[in-house]
Amino acid sequence: MRFIIQRDRLIQSVQDVMKAVTSRTTIPILTGIKITATEEGVTFTGSDSDISIESFIPAEEGGDEIVEIKETGSIVLQARFFSEIVKKLPLGTVEMQVTNSFQTIIRSGKAEFNLNGLDADEYPHLPQIEEEKTLKLPADLLKTLIRQTVFAVSTSETRPILTGVNWKIENGQIICIATDSHRLAMRSAPIEGEEQSSYSVVIPGKSLNELSKILDDTTDLIDIVITENQVLFKAKHLLFFSRLLEGNYPDTSRLIPTESKTDVVVHTKDFLQAIDRASLLAREGRNNVVKLSTMDGGFLEISSNTPEIGKVIEEVQTETIDGEELKISFSAKYMMDALKTLEGTEIRVKFTGAMRPFVIHSLNDETITQLILPVRTY
Amino acid sequence: MGRIVQLDHALSNKIAAGEVVERPASVVKELTENAIDAGSTMIEIHLEEAGLASIRIIDNGHGIEEDDVLIAFQRHATSKIKNEQDLFRIRTLGFRGEALPSIASVSRLELRTSTGEGPGTRVLFEGGELKEHEGYSSRKGTDITVADLFFNTPARLKYMKSIHTELGNITDCVNRLALSNPNISFKLINNEKKLLHTNGNGDIRQVLAAIYGLGIAKSMVPVNGQSLDFKVSGYVSLPEITRASRNYISTMINGRFIKNYALAKSVMEGYHTLLPIGRYPIAMLSIEMDPLLVDVNVHPSKMEVRLSKEAELFQLVDESIKAAFKTRELIPSNTPVKKKEKDESEQTQFVFETAPAPSPISQKPDASTEEYKQPLWREPVVRIEEPIQPSDTKTDYQPIIDSVVNSGNESSESYKVPSYEDVFKGDSTEISEEPLPSQHEEPASRIPVLYPIGQMHGTYILAQNEKGLYIIDQHAAQERIKYEYFREKVGQVESELQEMLIPITLEYSTDEVIRIQENMTELESVGIFLEEFGYNSFIVRSHPQWFPKGLEQEIIEEMIQQVLNVKKVDIKKLREEVAILMSCKGSIKANHYLRQEDMQALLDELRRSSDPFTCPHGRPIIIHYSTYEMEKMFKRVM
Repeated sequence: MRFIIQRDRLIQSVQDVMKAVTSRTTIPILTGIKITATEEGVTFTGSDSDISIESFIPAEEGGDEIVEIKETGSIVLQARFFSEIVKKLPLGTVEMQVTNSFQTIIRSGKAEFNLNGLDADEYPHLPQIEEEKTLKLPADLLKTLIRQTVFAVSTSETRPILTGVNWKIENGQIICIATDSHRLAMRSAPIEGEEQSSYSVVIPGKSLNELSKILDDTTDLIDIVITENQVLFKAKHLLFFSRLLEGNYPDTSRLIPTESKTDVVVHTKDFLQAIDRASLLAREGRNNVVKLSTMDGGFLEISSNTPEIGKVIEEVQTETIDGEELKISFSAKYMMDALKTLEGTEIRVKFTGAMRPFVIHSLNDETITQLILPVRTY
Repeated sequence: MGRIVQLDHALSNKIAAGEVVERPASVVKELTENAIDAGSTMIEIHLEEAGLASIRIIDNGHGIEEDDVLIAFQRHATSKIKNEQDLFRIRTLGFRGEALPSIASVSRLELRTSTGEGPGTRVLFEGGELKEHEGYSSRKGTDITVADLFFNTPARLKYMKSIHTELGNITDCVNRLALSNPNISFKLINNEKKLLHTNGNGDIRQVLAAIYGLGIAKSMVPVNGQSLDFKVSGYVSLPEITRASRNYISTMINGRFIKNYALAKSVMEGYHTLLPIGRYPIAMLSIEMDPLLVDVNVHPSKMEVRLSKEAELFQLVDESIKAAFKTRELIPSNTPVKKKEKDESEQTQFVFETAPAPSPISQKPDASTEEYKQPLWREPVVRIEEPIQPSDTKTDYQPIIDSVVNSGNESSESYKVPSYEDVFKGDSTEISEEPLPSQHEEPASRIPVLYPIGQMHGTYILAQNEKGLYIIDQHAAQERIKYEYFREKVGQVESELQEMLIPITLEYSTDEVIRIQENMTELESVGIFLEEFGYNSFIVRSHPQWFPKGLEQEIIEEMIQQVLNVKKVDIKKLREEVAILMSCKGSIKANHYLRQEDMQALLDELRRSSDPFTCPHGRPIIIHYSTYEMEKMFKRVM
């Protein structure tokens, strides 16, 4: 294998596939990046137990030569060293050449590295995906969907299914749901051409996090191919495979209250900042708990009290407060996580009592639902 | 009249008693040792109030001749050595001739003895004074009763601890005497309650069972080792059985229980990385050596000894214990292994050994489809395994355990001593020399082939084979694999030296300097170049690059100490902690999803590691539920 490649494109691809490479794996060859050179271009592959990423650099794009292929072939190089090396090479072009016994020379300007490679034939093959169910979403919408839900997944493997985000496609809509059993995030969006289909998959939250890091904020359509146990995201020159979580996602539709007893409309930024301030003192406590009470004159009182440190009380002016009086405690972290995902300057919070879950929406937009369970205080 | 007077006998005996007779336990120890030296095969120890009220020791030894009885109560009167040369070839437990007069001087002592020929003798001493002396009819042996200990030394009496403490001390002492003399039957009775009874048939395992209980005795592993000067034998517990104190490590030298910190440490060294921090094994090691190599004349209580060739002995102990575990499967099971009676005959079967085939996803898709067309059974290596038949010539380890279990199941009576005899029907020497049943042809892998079923909580791998269910801690498993890799790696000598602006000065005593000079080349081979610098000191101008910052002097001193102790520098040992840290950091953590292939790769790798049972911190990696246990839990078998 031998080729000369533009360094900035190389760095971009290596950085993308590095997302799938972990230093901790039980199969040693997976700590490497597979590089395959064909007449069409160069492919980089990284993989771990959750995801596999393949990034392709075409030999020629828009009339410009990006890679000059001199000899085809493939090699696996230690990801940690390879990525550091390409980042620090001096010139705009890099020459890579595999010599005998998987010795790889990386040359740029006067710098020359000799890396010990591994046999690419021993690298696991990527899952073979037959295009069963395909849907298309613009990259920026996909990223938003991920951002608004993935933070709510569970980080503990004790209930593996909750470490993923449930994607339901039904009635021409995609609904993304994530919960760690203390809070729930749900976002729906219409998709075209899927009026008839109805299916549901659970994608690991970790995979979605990595995916959203790689994708650019463009309106380019991403092809999403879903199979029995794999999902594939296809962007231009990029393939992103993730395993799907096995098992049934719990039915969450009944968890979301439909009516409310206390309705509060408040300015998002003011509310978020007040919670943030109150949590400064709450953070030291065990649960990061803040207390919220409705006051006369349309005020909300947000307070936190940690006896060893001190207490904080702040009043926030609301737009409207309808319904019963209320005193409720909740985790400041969950509240801030939820508020950060909401768009629009104002939000509506619907409470159904001090011990009942409450729902947060953007004002006049119910496609995104954040649900939080209160903290019981006694 | 001069100021200096010769003290009378009674007083000097009392002074000697201060050293020899410290507490009831010392009386028991001294008198029991006398009984052992007298060639007894049965020793009964009766206590009242933990020996504070009375101690009675009955043996069936050769007794004391009538003429000797009174001489025995003289200071420095003994039958055990005759001249100076004997002092250096001591094979008896006692030899100083101090115990009896000392004990007699601080108690009311009654002695009845007979040699079995002619009438016996009875004497009664009170505070060291002879009160009665008469002929007496008695059976062969000696019967000593020590009552009212310390009645005439109130200061000593005042410092007696509680009855429980004193009883504990005595039990401890008798346990150890019983361990070092498995061919003597010991009976320890306090206030009519039997505390210990060994049957004295020479099998240490039965003594261990009597002391520590059947379960622990069963899980102890024989240790054997021999070098030119030493012979080590005994039993050590499996790493899964640990205690919080070092007291359970008993060491005997030539049948004498001794306390030696360094020896206990070398036992621990044998367990290296198999035990969690702060846990100690149960061990019984009997060391035999030429009496010339050991000096017991250090302290009247003879608990401490001076050893020649200490380093060689410690190394032997360490290696023997390591060897005992080397080939053994150390997978702890949740309950004591209970197995069915082995069938008389066994059906031979194919053993499918999966060749180290690449994991499924690593196969090319076209190649794998081709492979499926081939008959499946052609790929794995098939061989016929000879059934292990219990034969007469070779006592199998298994039947012994089986019979133990069976007798244990019959009734709770099995905890009574006599049943040990049928429990351990195998000859003890046969047990210890019995080759270990090896299931696999390649000696490298010490755990059986495991097939992963799945993962639990992202932390434990569940795996199965025909023997049952195995649960593997994935982090610990990978830690062990990486540790073995890094241990080798950090032990390699690197040749880079870091020069120092201000050299390190080291000072040693003259004898150490001589020995350091002798072993200079050993130090140079690991990159420490000592230059002599004035009287009895050295300077070091550079040190190997890998030394952690700020610890240079410490490490150099440790290396020199190693050279002084064992004439060798072991960098692996010095850098072990680094290796453990590196292995921990580089391993997959808990809460980490693994695919089937990942698990398979991990298990295969674990099988290749040399010590696949505990992580470098000593925590277990695998636990096992046998099929039988599972069936029992589900009441499929009763």
